[in-house]
Amino acid sequence: MELLTAIAIGILFAIGVFQLLRRNIIRSAIGLIILANAVNLFLLSTGAYIGVEPAYVSDSTGVLSDALPQALILTAIVISMGGTAFVLSMLYIISARYKTSDMDEIDGLKN
Amino acid sequence: MLYKHLPLLPIVLPLTGAVIALLLSRSRSLQALWTLATMLTALASSTWLLAVVWRSGQPLVFQSGGWAAPFGISLVGDLLAAVFVVMSQLVLATGVLYAIGSKDSVVRYPTFYPLYLMLAASLSGAMLTGDLFNMYVFAELLVISGTVLTAVSDDRYGTEAAYKYFYISLLASFFMLLAVGCLYVSYGTLNMADLAQRIAVDTGRLLLPGIGFLMATFMVKSAVFPFHFWQPDFHTAAPTAVSAMLSSVVVKLGVYGFLRMTTLLFLPQAETIRCLLVVLGVVGVVFGGLSAIGTHNVKRMLAYSTLAQVGFILVGIGWGTPLAIAAAIVFAFNHSLIKAAMLMLAGYVASRAPVKSAGFDVVTGVGRSVPVAGVLFFIGSLGLAGIPPTNGFISKMFLFSSGIDAAELGSLAFIGMGSILTLVYTMRAFQRIWWQEPSGGAKAKPGGDHLLAPAILIVLVLLLGLWAEPLVQVAKDTSVWLGNPAGYIQAVLGG
Repeated sequence: MELLTAIAIGILFAIGVFQLLRRNIIRSAIGLIILANAVNLFLLSTGAYIGVEPAYVSDSTGVLSDALPQALILTAIVISMGGTAFVLSMLYIISARYKTSDMDEIDGLKN
Repeated sequence: MLYKHLPLLPIVLPLTGAVIALLLSRSRSLQALWTLATMLTALASSTWLLAVVWRSGQPLVFQSGGWAAPFGISLVGDLLAAVFVVMSQLVLATGVLYAIGSKDSVVRYPTFYPLYLMLAASLSGAMLTGDLFNMYVFAELLVISGTVLTAVSDDRYGTEAAYKYFYISLLASFFMLLAVGCLYVSYGTLNMADLAQRIAVDTGRLLLPGIGFLMATFMVKSAVFPFHFWQPDFHTAAPTAVSAMLSSVVVKLGVYGFLRMTTLLFLPQAETIRCLLVVLGVVGVVFGGLSAIGTHNVKRMLAYSTLAQVGFILVGIGWGTPLAIAAAIVFAFNHSLIKAAMLMLAGYVASRAPVKSAGFDVVTGVGRSVPVAGVLFFIGSLGLAGIPPTNGFISKMFLFSSGIDAAELGSLAFIGMGSILTLVYTMRAFQRIWWQEPSGGAKAKPGGDHLLAPAILIVLVLLLGLWAEPLVQVAKDTSVWLGNPAGYIQAVLGG
């Protein structure tokens, strides 16, 4: 299971970075979203394999699981969701202004 | 302890102020006054924090929610954090003044002032927190408020610059999350004091990637050389009141992070990090200076100049002797005041130009009808280049003498050269705006932004140049505190 998760996270990172480096501005935003999920999975895996019993339940006996990574991911998910929404809205304004999604043609800042 | 809640004030005051300012959005003048009042109160509270911490010689620690240290989130007001928060809020308060006197249409945007207060709250929060993940949350809040403030800018390319910055910053926050993950899986804690204690005794398996990711994060935040490319666009396109903040105090978050990394978190690895910081700093000084000479826009020139000046600070941190760290802190404080004043003056000139732009072809000769701004700009240029009687002289002299003291002559020679470049570009800007005849007989427009805010900053620049003793003393004490991380750890974990 550890190996599978590790491979899945690796693949997600690879796809995310590849898409991020594309010239198409929309594809690169999608790359950002994939990367966000890869990072969240990485955070999840930092605490996923220690203990199986849910934490903060009084009558459990075995090794308690770690609740902190889950709290961290919950925060990170909310923040990255807000960030993604904001990226997409700015992307909409920019692509509507330039009538293109090719980064090479969005060149207002170059002058 | 009597002043237990004091580290909370510089965060909570702007935060509640932002919410109330949002409710006041129907009346712009009331909202502006409220923002100014909030910022001044926050400044007073952080100065109070600095005074209490400095006099008592003990960091003030607030354990939020009453949870004991490694489990809850602690807010740590030690001398370094207090100095940086006072610096930020001082500059942010003058930024509100500039925004009130500004003719930009962006300051009439209903959420301009609430976002500005969010910027203040998150900057103070990121510096006062003693928890790595909490720092990530505050840094993210900082990025989002800064981006929105730029995206609504009067500048045509505001949205694009904001997009570019936000994109890079999201990547930086992924780096920070990865660092958080690496350190958590190795040490099982995210409290900085607890982390420092554990890192000092054993090397976790994922420690090195953690350090690398954290460095990358702070390098993006401070726009250090290989990660600087978003910064000139972003700082040029932002509204003046905001870009003066971004280029002066917001970049100091990374500087603060580097100071914490080398003096608290990663003490066994600090030597390597310092080596890297000296190299990056020297490259930043030379590259930033040369790029500033090659620009065609005053604001852009000042943005590149930030790259160079942050380089000076990094070299100071990299030398790592107590004297050099004190010099870096003095440099950071003084640079914030000078750079904010210079950017406000550049924005003022742009607001008087025939077309609203800070490009050299537009503003050439515009300054001839505003000599007062010329005097202020000239003093600011002297400060940036490090010539007496300004505070820039104090910071450069302090930095250079600490370099001689540490016998770092190679890097000293490079930053000496970089500091001559500073004089070249600031004097060229001064000469083009205030001496040269305007091309095509273009006259300056009447009106424009108000000069009060940059004037206050320039007075502070002169004051801290003539009476530098208290600041230098605080910086030296801070450096002594930073040399004793056990005190910090003791205060957080045992308090």
